[in-house]
Amino acid sequence: MAKKYEFDYDLIVIGSGAGGSAAATIAAREGKRVAIVESDTFGGDSPNWGDIPTKALLHAAVLYDEARHGARFGLRSSTLGYNYPSIRSWKDLAVKRTGAGGNRSYYEKQGVSAYAGSAHFLSPNEISVNRRHLSANHFLIATGSQWIIPEIPGLQNIKYLTPRTILETIRPPKSLLIIGGGDIGIEIAQLMAIFGTKVYIVEKASRLLPHHDSEVGELIERVLSEQKGVTALTHSRVVSVEKDGLLKRVIISRAGTEKSVKVDEVLVAAGRAPIVDMGLENAGVKFTAKGIDVNEYLQTNVKHIFAAGDVLGRNSHTHTALLESHVVANNVIRRNKITPDYTGTPEVIFTHPGIATVGLSEDDCVKRDLPINKAIAPLNIIARSNTSDFRDGFVKIITDKKGVVLGASIVAPHASEMIHELALAVKHKLTAADIASTPHAFLSWSEAVRVAAGKLS
Amino acid sequence: MIQAVDIIKHGGSRPTEKFLRDKLHSSLVAACLSAKAPEGQAEAAADAVCDKVIIWLQQRPEVTSHDIRVVAARHLKSFHPEAAYLYEQHKITI
Repeated sequence: MAKKYEFDYDLIVIGSGAGGSAAATIAAREGKRVAIVESDTFGGDSPNWGDIPTKALLHAAVLYDEARHGARFGLRSSTLGYNYPSIRSWKDLAVKRTGAGGNRSYYEKQGVSAYAGSAHFLSPNEISVNRRHLSANHFLIATGSQWIIPEIPGLQNIKYLTPRTILETIRPPKSLLIIGGGDIGIEIAQLMAIFGTKVYIVEKASRLLPHHDSEVGELIERVLSEQKGVTALTHSRVVSVEKDGLLKRVIISRAGTEKSVKVDEVLVAAGRAPIVDMGLENAGVKFTAKGIDVNEYLQTNVKHIFAAGDVLGRNSHTHTALLESHVVANNVIRRNKITPDYTGTPEVIFTHPGIATVGLSEDDCVKRDLPINKAIAPLNIIARSNTSDFRDGFVKIITDKKGVVLGASIVAPHASEMIHELALAVKHKLTAADIASTPHAFLSWSEAVRVAAGKLS
Repeated sequence: MIQAVDIIKHGGSRPTEKFLRDKLHSSLVAACLSAKAPEGQAEAAADAVCDKVIIWLQQRPEVTSHDIRVVAARHLKSFHPEAAYLYEQHKITI
């Protein structure tokens, strides 16, 4: 009979973010011996430095902004102000209330051994954490990703901000240049602009949010520039950065000409790279700088080592990482392996108006050579835009020639809530006629979904 | 100043050693000289690579000798690609 090796744990999870924590707690609940290793703050990026603090700040900012513009509804808001340290305290409270954020004992209460330190593979079944050797039958790598710092001359000589460090600034800067016009760059641009910062966004692509449909990027660029005074420098690239007294001078190349902008702070939000530097070579795990390769069961080439979340190098979100973490938990615990189903996974940007997309974008369909129909319902044609005096936004639905919904984009207040009926439609292959024939409450923003679907049915 | 770093030898067959900058430096210089690099260039490249490896080790109290080889070769590549190849492959090429 083959010898059965004894390990310290059944499962060691490296990284306590969304990709790791769910699997750790599920496996522990099933009676497995589980350890979790975290090199940074327990809970990972989302509750500590990402989604939760940013959205808590955005909530306060949007409230302030709406109240400031309340005169048209008869509200007196001329004396309205804010206290940024108190807003930061609110953000800290929101982080604390998540439970997992910065809270090692949260895992210990779930029966998971928690280790603080960097995990480093010594062999396929053994890691080292602060010189302590831990072995396990299975591993889950969920180390996440980190902000890429582009190689821009002079950038290392100035104190630049990242979306993580800007959350800890004492007050909003007077002026801010954001390198990168993606999801997070846009959220921070709006947040800071509401608090009075003059914001510049530098984006290499021809529009902001280049990974979304063109209508989305164009509308957001217009809203940010007209309503928040943001200067969007598209088709531009930062050539160099240098100190200029207390300010920073940023040289930007745009359409072959160079111009300079003087700002108080520079924020780098030019994409994220997976964290793969943990001795994976010692375990024989295949990986590149773009992420770890996994099969449909989220197993690496070393079958007892799984990976989930941002470390896979895909365009991931907290909810995707959570889904993958649940899949890994199942595949570690049970014999019948399952695969993650990403169909109908929404992507949301919490600006105001919000942005939410699901399924294929128009560009995706063009690349796949799919024959499509599309329809756009501007928000100003529904009654709610009248009662809320808000008109910037639309619902766009894309279907195949039979009317089956392939994808959708929404720019509207509460877009993050509205998208889920379209996510359901994408996941279950519903037609635009199915959506259009479903009653939508009068004076809800979702009436725009019905109108767009009605144009396609 | 680098904290004490333990180097676990390949396969765990030999006892663990403390990290020694000079040992890494000499091996890098030897690789550069084998690739016909001038002595000054070999010394300069080895110095720069050692500094980068030490920065990498700052958060890692315990690594394998294979890790040191991979990280050193990765950095040496930008100074002398041929030497980096020899450094990485020397056990196979000898």
